[in-house]
Amino acid sequence: MAELTREQIRDLMGAVLEAQGKTLPADDGADLREIGFRSLDFSELALRVEDEIGDELNFDAPGLRQIAKVGDVLDFIEQLQSA
Amino acid sequence: MTTRRRSTALIGDDNTVVAGGRTATWRTLHKLPQLPSPAAVLVDNGADALAAVRHHAVHGTELLVATTSRVDLSMREELADSGFAIVIAKGDEHSVEPAKLKRVEESGRAWLLTSGSTGRPTRIGHTLESLTTVTTQQQPRTWLLPYSPGTYAWWQVVTMSLTQAYQGLVVIEPSELEIWPSIAAEHGVTAASGTPTFWRQTIYRDTEALAEVPLEQITLGGEPVDQTILDRLREIFPKARVSWIYASSEVGASIVVHDGQAGFPKAWLDREPGPEDERPVISVDGDELVITSPHHGAGLDGAVRTGDRVEFAGDRVLITGRLDTDEINVGGSKVSAGLVRNVLMAHPGVAWARVFARKAPLVGRMVAAEVVASPALGPITDQDLVQWCSNRLPDYGVPRRIKFLAEIPQKETLKSDV
Repeated sequence: MAELTREQIRDLMGAVLEAQGKTLPADDGADLREIGFRSLDFSELALRVEDEIGDELNFDAPGLRQIAKVGDVLDFIEQLQSA
Repeated sequence: MTTRRRSTALIGDDNTVVAGGRTATWRTLHKLPQLPSPAAVLVDNGADALAAVRHHAVHGTELLVATTSRVDLSMREELADSGFAIVIAKGDEHSVEPAKLKRVEESGRAWLLTSGSTGRPTRIGHTLESLTTVTTQQQPRTWLLPYSPGTYAWWQVVTMSLTQAYQGLVVIEPSELEIWPSIAAEHGVTAASGTPTFWRQTIYRDTEALAEVPLEQITLGGEPVDQTILDRLREIFPKARVSWIYASSEVGASIVVHDGQAGFPKAWLDREPGPEDERPVISVDGDELVITSPHHGAGLDGAVRTGDRVEFAGDRVLITGRLDTDEINVGGSKVSAGLVRNVLMAHPGVAWARVFARKAPLVGRMVAAEVVASPALGPITDQDLVQWCSNRLPDYGVPRRIKFLAEIPQKETLKSDV
């Protein structure tokens, strides 16, 4: 399975927001609620990643964690890929 | 023992039948040799299927007719175990594999295989009489016959031509589906029945060629019908009557609507038929369509749960899809795939769409779609469609993954598994 780089994941996250007329800030510390990135958007991002890597992500492995900022999303998806 | 059918059943015997480039009448169609009974006649073309039907009509045999491709080896064995001789018909030649079970024929019984939209095709018993639902005198017409031999929709057109005067047939083989408008125009087809997928594909491929067919009657059935396809056909054929028919192998032709509006009037629900009335009783239980029909298959007396999901829109009842596949649960919020599909199909740049659930983290399932863009409009993107849907659907109903296909997929039944 081909892993995406953090930058590629960021691009996909930007595409999710762009489809709704929103922009992804450059700052990894940006608050998800403030930029309007919701659970549906996170789910969509996961599907976009799955389509790119041609495999399902394993959500069981990393366990639950607080995801509040843009960087948390990128960290989480990066970790899922290597799980 | 075989019994001869009433001659009145063959009123259409002199109707023209065009099949495989040859013009004949029911009477002058090539004859199949004396068939065993019961027989499952498997065919590779429409002419052989029609010849089998005429043989059945004349001799009153027990018959199942289907295309070879729809009956796999295990179903052949199942049929043989149920007393059917398997007949492979090819023009004047045929081969017969004897039945494994010897039993007395059910004289006059015609068997159908369901389309198998929801799984393996099942066998439903009818007779020519129960399949002949158009009994009022029809004005002279030449009918297109694009359906797969042996399906309920195919029998509907076939029995009309066999039992009514001046109802010609032009058979379209699967290999001719892409060019049917030119064949239809050549033979003066004035009436055509097809699934919404069939009509969408035709409009998508070549609207100009379609417009050359002198259609007076357009019929749609077999799948949920949305307003967009009705409007499109009305634009191309402003003078034609556009009819939507709800029919199935199980309950027969039960709902017929001619007003050009999607769905049927709510006022038709739970109407009790008069003593001489052959009208079915249409009901809704929960969100499932339930029909008590005089045209149902053998052994299906009483109310039949159709498995089709309905929704109310103003004074109309819309059929949105199959109950077992229509509902998508997105993080606890439920949305109808049929409803989302209707929204997508209403976009002027969409020729066809399929909506389905896709497994997703956090929310369990998400709405996804496959789309064929209309060549009539400029290129559209998934962003265009997400925006379109966001203005018309709740958040959880917006398809988040949209894949564009090059052409409209279609099965042998002319349906597209939407």
